[in-house]
Amino acid sequence: MNYSIGFTDLNASLHELEDNDLDALMADLVADLNATEEKLAAESKDHPSSSSSSSSGSSLPTPTVNNFGFPSPTVAPAFTTTSISMPAPAPAPAPPPAPAPAPAPALAPALAPAPGGPKGSISPPPPSQTSKLSKEEMEAQTKADKIKLALEKLKEAKVKKLVVKVEMSNGSSKTLMVDERQTVRDVLDNLFEKTHCDCNVDWCLCETNPDLQIERGFEDHENMVEPLSAWTRDSENRVLFQERKDKYAVFKNPQNFYLWKKDKNTLKDMKDKEKEMLLEENFCGTSIIVPDLEGLLHLKEDGKRSWKPRYFLLRASGMYYVPKGKTKTSRDLVCMVQFDNVNVYYAKDYKNKYKAPTDYCFILKHPQIQKESQYIKYLCCDDKWTMTLWVTGIRIAKYGMALYDNYKTAVQKTTASTSWTDRINSNASTPSPTLKAKAANGHAPKPAQDTASKGLSNQPAFPPPPPATEILPPPPPDPVLPPPPPPAMFSKGPLPPPPPAMFSKGPLPPPPPAMFPKGPLPPPPPPSSMGGCFPPPPMDDLPPPPPPDNDDSETPPDFLPPPPPAMGFPSSLPRGGALPPPPPDPVPPPPACPSGGPLPPPPPPPPPPPAPAPAAAAATRPTVRKSGPPPPKRTTPVAAAPSGGDFMNELMLAMQKKRTQP
Amino acid sequence: MAAWDLSIIVDDLGPDSPPITISVTSDLHIGGVIFKVVEKTQAKRDWSDYGLWWEQKQCWLLRTAWTLDKCGVHADAKLIFSPQHKPLRLGLPNGTTLRMRASFSAPVFRTVLNICKVLNIRHPEELSLLRPVEEKKKKKDQKSEEEIYDITDVPLTSASVPCLYNGMPAHFSDSPKTEAVYKMLSASQPSPAPEMLAKLYRPASIVDKTHIHTRWLDSSRSLMQQGVQENDKLWLRFKYYTLYDLEPKYDMVRLTQLYEQARWAILLEDIDCTEEEMMLFGALQYHIGKVSQSDAQALTSGLEDLDSALQSLEVKMGAESTANDMLENMTAPELNDYLKIFRPKRLTLKGYKQYWCKFKDTSISYFKSQEESCGEPIQQMNLKGSEVAPDVNVAGQKFCIKLLVPAPEGMNEVYLRCDNERQYAQWMAACKLASKGLTMADSSFDNEVKSIQTFLSMQRSNPGAQVAQSDDSINTLSLVSPRYHKKYKAKQLTPRILEAYQNVAQLSLTAAILKFLQIWQALPDFGISYFMVRFKGSRKDEVLGIANNRLIRIDLGVGDVVKTWRYNTMRQWNVNWDIRQVAIEFDGHINIAFACVNADCKTVHEYIGGYIFMSTRGRDQSDTLNEELFHKLTGGHEAL
Repeated sequence: MNYSIGFTDLNASLHELEDNDLDALMADLVADLNATEEKLAAESKDHPSSSSSSSSGSSLPTPTVNNFGFPSPTVAPAFTTTSISMPAPAPAPAPPPAPAPAPAPALAPALAPAPGGPKGSISPPPPSQTSKLSKEEMEAQTKADKIKLALEKLKEAKVKKLVVKVEMSNGSSKTLMVDERQTVRDVLDNLFEKTHCDCNVDWCLCETNPDLQIERGFEDHENMVEPLSAWTRDSENRVLFQERKDKYAVFKNPQNFYLWKKDKNTLKDMKDKEKEMLLEENFCGTSIIVPDLEGLLHLKEDGKRSWKPRYFLLRASGMYYVPKGKTKTSRDLVCMVQFDNVNVYYAKDYKNKYKAPTDYCFILKHPQIQKESQYIKYLCCDDKWTMTLWVTGIRIAKYGMALYDNYKTAVQKTTASTSWTDRINSNASTPSPTLKAKAANGHAPKPAQDTASKGLSNQPAFPPPPPATEILPPPPPDPVLPPPPPPAMFSKGPLPPPPPAMFSKGPLPPPPPAMFPKGPLPPPPPPSSMGGCFPPPPMDDLPPPPPPDNDDSETPPDFLPPPPPAMGFPSSLPRGGALPPPPPDPVPPPPACPSGGPLPPPPPPPPPPPAPAPAAAAATRPTVRKSGPPPPKRTTPVAAAPSGGDFMNELMLAMQKKRTQP
Repeated sequence: MAAWDLSIIVDDLGPDSPPITISVTSDLHIGGVIFKVVEKTQAKRDWSDYGLWWEQKQCWLLRTAWTLDKCGVHADAKLIFSPQHKPLRLGLPNGTTLRMRASFSAPVFRTVLNICKVLNIRHPEELSLLRPVEEKKKKKDQKSEEEIYDITDVPLTSASVPCLYNGMPAHFSDSPKTEAVYKMLSASQPSPAPEMLAKLYRPASIVDKTHIHTRWLDSSRSLMQQGVQENDKLWLRFKYYTLYDLEPKYDMVRLTQLYEQARWAILLEDIDCTEEEMMLFGALQYHIGKVSQSDAQALTSGLEDLDSALQSLEVKMGAESTANDMLENMTAPELNDYLKIFRPKRLTLKGYKQYWCKFKDTSISYFKSQEESCGEPIQQMNLKGSEVAPDVNVAGQKFCIKLLVPAPEGMNEVYLRCDNERQYAQWMAACKLASKGLTMADSSFDNEVKSIQTFLSMQRSNPGAQVAQSDDSINTLSLVSPRYHKKYKAKQLTPRILEAYQNVAQLSLTAAILKFLQIWQALPDFGISYFMVRFKGSRKDEVLGIANNRLIRIDLGVGDVVKTWRYNTMRQWNVNWDIRQVAIEFDGHINIAFACVNADCKTVHEYIGGYIFMSTRGRDQSDTLNEELFHKLTGGHEAL
C-alpha cells in the first residue's frame, strides 16, 4: 500500500507543480519515477517475502547512512565508500524534493488526499508481499494493534505538505518541504541549521502580498502550512527569511510599549530590573495585560475611498473607537474589530496606492483574504513608531501568552545553539552503538537475506528516535535511516541515482550540518511516523553535505551531475530537508519490526546494505530523486512495515463491520 | 500596697447581672485579675476564650503578665470580661450571609486570616473586611430576610492545613448543614433576577466609587476597637487585586468567591466594560451557572478531583486511542438535508432558495436536489476560518445561520435557513466546529448540539412568565448590567449572548471561571481603588486611583488620567498623622502630597503598603505569610 500511496501522492504533487508552471523537468522526473516504480514492483514480486525489505533496503541503505551519520566516524567512512558505490540511496532522498519543484513560490500542496479509501484499495497488493513476513513476526501482535497501526499510517498519509521557497535576505532562496504539523518555530530551526545566520531571536519568517502591498511576520507558534494554504494558485506572495527588530521588541524593551506615554528619554535608560518587572506585571499574571494604546488614527473601511480620523483604543477584547460626540468611557466605545479572525499586517506605500495620509499604515484582515476587499480594515498612523506600537499591541491582544512563550523559546534556542556541536557529538555517539546492536538483532530474526535489506528495515525503525534527527547533524554518516523510508516509497527507482552523485562528492561528512535541518522537520512525525522523520533528514543531508553546508540549492547542482537531479535536486534537496516526513514510509520497517520492535531496532547496520542497494537501484537512480514521495514516509512508519497485507485486510474488514453495524 | 476595688462586668451572665467587684492591688497582674473574677462568679464554664476589655480606652488587656499599674488601670476603669471570639455576620462576595465566630481581639488582619482558614480560602492577605453599605430596607421587607448560613458551631481549627474529607475540609463534613455551607461557598450562585439587579445600588460616577473604599476596616486594630459589635454584619471582600498563585485544585472556594465578586462588580457597573465584553461576560455567567448546576449532583470537589484525574487518564489513553475509536474517526459523519440558502448580493433581491445540502468534513456542498447529489455540487464552501453567527428567532420559527466564508476576494456572506430547532442545532454545531477546522467526528460535536438546543430553549420561554422559568430558561437580562436592560429587550439580547456563548460553550467549569477572571483582569480599569483626595497645592478635589503597580491621578470632572506613578520608582512614603497627609517621594525628586477627603488616610496608607507587601510575596520561597512585614508596611504609627 505504501507504494501506491506514495505514487498517488507524487502524481498529485506533480500535478500541482505543473499548475504552477513547473518545468519539463518534472515530467521527466515523473517518468523516471514510474520506471523505477515498475522496477521496484518487479523486484518485490521476485522476492516476495523480502521484497519489501529488499526494495526498501536497496534504496534505504544509502540514505540511512546519511542520516545516521552521527553515529560515528567509523560508520561514516564505511558509508562513504558504500554510498559511492550505491548511488541509489541518494536518489531516494532526492525524491522528496520532487514535490519541491513545484514549489516554488507557491505551494505545492502535496496532499495525501485519499486517506482511507484509496489506501484501502491500494493496500491489498502490498500485503501480499509483506504478508509472509508479517505473519511470522506478527504472531505476537493482536489484531487490534495491527488495525491501529494501519490506521495511524493512514492518518499519516493525510498529512499535508507544502514545498515552500523561502527567500533569504541576500537574494538567494531555499526550498523547504513543510508539513502541516510543523510550526514556524520548527521551520526557523530548520533554516538556522541550513544557513549561517547568527540565530538571534529576531529572525523571522514573513509573508508578503504584493497585491495588497502588505507583509506580516509569522509568529513562531503558528502553523506554517495554514497561512500558506490561503494563498491563491497564481499568488505572487512570498515567504522571506529575515531579521525583524519589531518581532520581539516588546520583550526587549517593554517600557517602550507599556509606558509609551512617558518621556522617551527616561525610557531609554530603563534598568533591566525594571524591564523584568514590567514583563512580569504584564505577562506573568493570570491574565495578559495589553498596552493601553489610544490615539487618533485614520481609518478606511467598507470599501470606501476616504480616510476618516477616529480616536481608537486598544483593549484585550478588540480595537474600539470613540463614536462622534461621545467620551471614551468603556460603555460608549464602538468595537471596530475583534482579533479572533483577523491578522495584522504592515502595509507599504499606501500614500500612493490608496492616498493614505501617511505611509505608516497597517491593515487588519482575515488571513484568507488575498485581494482588495471591503472586509479589510485599513488604518493609517501619523508616524512609524505609532504604527509599531499598534501592530505590536494588536499582536499582544491577539496572541497573548503565546507571544511571550515564543520569545522565551527563541531565547533558549539561541543560547542553546552555542553548545550545539557538543550535544550533537554526544548524541551521535550514543545512538550509533545502539543502532548497531539493534540492527543486528533485527537481522537475526528475519531471514536476513540481504544484509542491506535488513539494515534498511531496521533503519526505518530508527526514525523513532526523533531526537536523533535533531541531532542529525552529526549523523550524516548514517545515511541508513533516511534511505529506508525513501526506498519503500520511492523504491520506484528514484533513490539510487542521485545519491551517488552526492555521496561521492562530499559524502557524508559534510552532511551533518545538513542533517540538522532535517532533524527539525522530522519532529512532526509523531510516534508512529518517527521512522519517517529520520528518513527525511537523510535526504537533506545528502545534498547539503557535498557543499560545505551553505546554500543547499546552489551546492546541489554541483554535486549532482545527473542533470535531471539538478533541477530537482537543488530545490529538492533543501526541500528534502523539509520533507523528512516522508521517511515515515514505514514500509521498509515492516519487515524489521512488526511489533514494538520497530523503533528501537534502529540497527545501525544500514551502512552495509547500502552497497547492495545501490547496485540494484542503480538503474533507477536518476529518476528516484523525484519520487521522493516524501508523503508516504509519514504515513506508515513502522506499522506498515510489519504486515502490510494483513493489516489492510483486517482494516478493510473492520471498516466494513463498522459500516454495517450502525 | 493599698488594695482597691475594681468592678468588672462579665459578659454572658445576663444583661441585668450586676458587675462583679473584686479587691485588687496595683501590682496585681492581669492574669490574677481574671483568676479572681472567675472565682467570684462561681460559674463553671470554659473561660479560656475570655479576656478583659477596657471600655474607656477601647482596648484589650491581653498581656496577662502585665500589672494593673503598668496597664494604667485605676479604680475608675470600666472593664468588661468578655469572650474574644464572637459571632459575626459575614457578607460574602457571592451575596450570601454567613454567621460564624471571629476574633474580636486580634488585629483585623489576623481575624481575616482565621476566617479564611475556616472557609478554606488561600492567600487571605488579599482579603479584608469592610462595613457594608447601609441597606435602605423597608421594615416590612425585613422579615423576608435573606437566608443565613450558620457555622458558629464550627470550631476555629488551629490545624495548619485543613485535611480534606469527602472532598471538603474536614470541619465542613460534620453535618449536612455544614456541607451545605461548603457547597454554597464553592459553587457559584444563580443569577439574580433583573428586577433585583435594577434595585441594587450602583455607583453612578467615579465619586461614588470612592465611597466604597472609605469603609475598609483598619487591619492593624481589632474588630472591637473599631466599634464592631457581636452579630454585626461585615463584608468580606478581595481587597488587593494581585491574585497570587491561583490553583483550581486547591482554590475552589477562592475562585468561586473571586468570580462572584467580579461578576457583581460587572453587573453593578463597578467596573466599566464595552458592550462586546459585557456579552461575553453574560455568556460566561450563563455557562458557569449551567455547568455548576449539572456539577452540583457530582457534589464535592473531591469527586471533582477524581473526575479530573480520570479525565487526564482518558486523555492519556486517548493518545493511544483504541482501534475502534480510530475507525470511528475514519468513517466521516455527514449531514444531508434540504436547506434554504440565501446569498445576499448587491442589487439583487433574491430570497431564499431551497437546495440539497451536504455537510462533510469542514465543507458544505449544495445541489439542486437530492437526486443530483451524486454529481458535481453547484458550489462547495469550506467553512474553515469562517465566521459563524446565529440569526434565530424561536418565536418566529426562524432558524438561520449566517456564514461569512473567507475567500481570497473577501468574505462571502451566506445564510442557511433551517426548518426546525433540531436541524438548526446540528448544522449550527457542524458549522461552528468546521470554522475551527474540526469535523463532526470531533468528540465535542454532541455537546455543541446540546448546548445550542439548550440556549434555544431560553428563547422559547415567554419573558412574561418568569415565575415558571425553569433552570434552563434564565432570563438573559440577569446576565448583564441594568444599563443594557434599557438598551435591549431580552429577545434582542439573547442572540447576542448566544453569539458570544458559542465561543465558550466548551469550557469546563473551572476554565470558564478562569476565563471570566482573565477578561475581568484585562479590563483597563481592573484593580483600581479610588479615593477622593486633595493634592497639596491644588484647590480642588481629585481622585487618586490605587492599583497594584501604580498610583493614578484622575481628574474628577472629566475622569481623565492626569498622571501615573509606578511603585517601582517610589523612594518612600510618609504619613503625617497630625495633619493627615500622605507624602510620597519618587525617583527624580518628584514629591507629591495629598490629604484624603472622605477616607481615613490610614486606609490609603494601608492600601499602598498592602500592595507593596503583596509584591514581596514569592520572593522567598517559603509559603508562610510574613505578618510582621505586613504590619510594618501598613500599620503606620499605631503599628509598633
